[in-house]
Amino acid sequence: MEIDRLDGRKANQLRPLACSRNILNRAHGSASWTQGDTKVLVAVYGPKAGTKKNENPEKACIEVIWKPKSGQIGKLEREHEMIVKRTLQSICILNINPNTTTSVIVQVINDDGALLPCAINAACAALVDAGIPLKHLAVAICCCLADSGYIILDPTKLEEQSMKAYAYLVFPNSILSVRPEGSLKVQGEPMEHGVITSGTQGAMSVDDYLNCLERGRAATAKMSTVLRRNLQPQIASDLSKAG
Amino acid sequence: MENKPTSSPTSFVDQSVVPGDVVLDLSNMTNQTLKLGGGLRQDCDAISVMKAGKLRFSNPNKYWVESSQKRYVPRAGDSVLGIVVDSKADNFLVDIKGPGLAFLPVLAFEGGTRRNIPKFEIGTLLYVRVVKANPGMNPELSCTDASGKAAEFGLLKDGYMFESSTGLSRMLLSSPTCPVLDALGKKLSFETAVGLNGRVWVNASSPSTVIVVANAIMNSESLSGVQQRIMVEKLIQNLKLST
Repeated sequence: MEIDRLDGRKANQLRPLACSRNILNRAHGSASWTQGDTKVLVAVYGPKAGTKKNENPEKACIEVIWKPKSGQIGKLEREHEMIVKRTLQSICILNINPNTTTSVIVQVINDDGALLPCAINAACAALVDAGIPLKHLAVAICCCLADSGYIILDPTKLEEQSMKAYAYLVFPNSILSVRPEGSLKVQGEPMEHGVITSGTQGAMSVDDYLNCLERGRAATAKMSTVLRRNLQPQIASDLSKAG
Repeated sequence: MENKPTSSPTSFVDQSVVPGDVVLDLSNMTNQTLKLGGGLRQDCDAISVMKAGKLRFSNPNKYWVESSQKRYVPRAGDSVLGIVVDSKADNFLVDIKGPGLAFLPVLAFEGGTRRNIPKFEIGTLLYVRVVKANPGMNPELSCTDASGKAAEFGLLKDGYMFESSTGLSRMLLSSPTCPVLDALGKKLSFETAVGLNGRVWVNASSPSTVIVVANAIMNSESLSGVQQRIMVEKLIQNLKLST
């Protein structure tokens, strides 16, 4: 059964995406990611010497600070910090700069649904802008489940609150490869079929969740191209030929 | 997004790549020795990209990813501008915009003995050479070149230091002389020291010359050669009109 969305989008249609890099002067890397009306700005500082007390000094440490648009910092912000930190830890190569800390500061500018995926996309772009070595990029998307089992992508805040359940999913980006069979295989399956992070809110059946996974993965191809286009180097290419 | 059904691109050289792209497949290149520069890592049989940038190749066997960041990755043999942060019994601790502080041995000066140790205060700007830069260890610096002579390394007095990106530093140091320095040098007299870590120092007899040179260099990052010369001409015209 088709559902009419308030802004006239189809079920699989994403809101307009915008990404800009290197917007903050003092931060070592910065990026902002906009999905419709949801906008998040991320700044990255580092790597700086020294790790925190309980962290492993043989690996680089990532510290995430989440700043909400308004209000005091509470448990919800800490939960978001932990989710972003775990996601970024799995895409960064942690043994290149041991005993260093990279600080990622996430500032919510406006929240209109799909906030955590927007923040993860912005954090990934900011890490690339700062030159932190990464294994691959991460693309995040939010899927909402209606009562009838109908799935819509990239919900607004009203849609999120009125639906039965939603899931946010983070996938590795689609990579270009010189190999004919495509990406690296992990245990026989291409790496792009993996899931980096997944979180759900509300109750959904296993079949619905697997449907969400499929729809989300298909939609991340478009986000991958937006991210790839925005990460192109911005310097004039004819001058950087020094070998 | 364009579709490439069965054929994969044969080579990514001189194209923009993002983290995760597989650029070389070692299984078809046996009995060859490759040298991998910054931004690339080896993952079993595949060479994949760690940082976003342009992939470059130099005969016979060197591959690297060219990217421009605000922070510096220390490499042996680079000349950088460092700021003294602390002094210990055996070393000066110098900040070179890398993941950790670098050590400058107290005796690493031409004719340096225990009796004539230079007294550098905190905040002193030095032009130094990176001797060792191993992963996980603090880099080691020296104020002499490889044969032990002073060769312009050491304290930089007066003048003005500003930060740039590593890409701009490489462009300023490229040979033949980059257009902006060439155009400035024809009309003004000044001296400059460029550090590969993203710091530039300019000194001239009058402050207005220093300001014009610094502004010209800072604005030249995203301009092509012809645009740089036009910008320099405009700045010098303004300078002559105001004196």
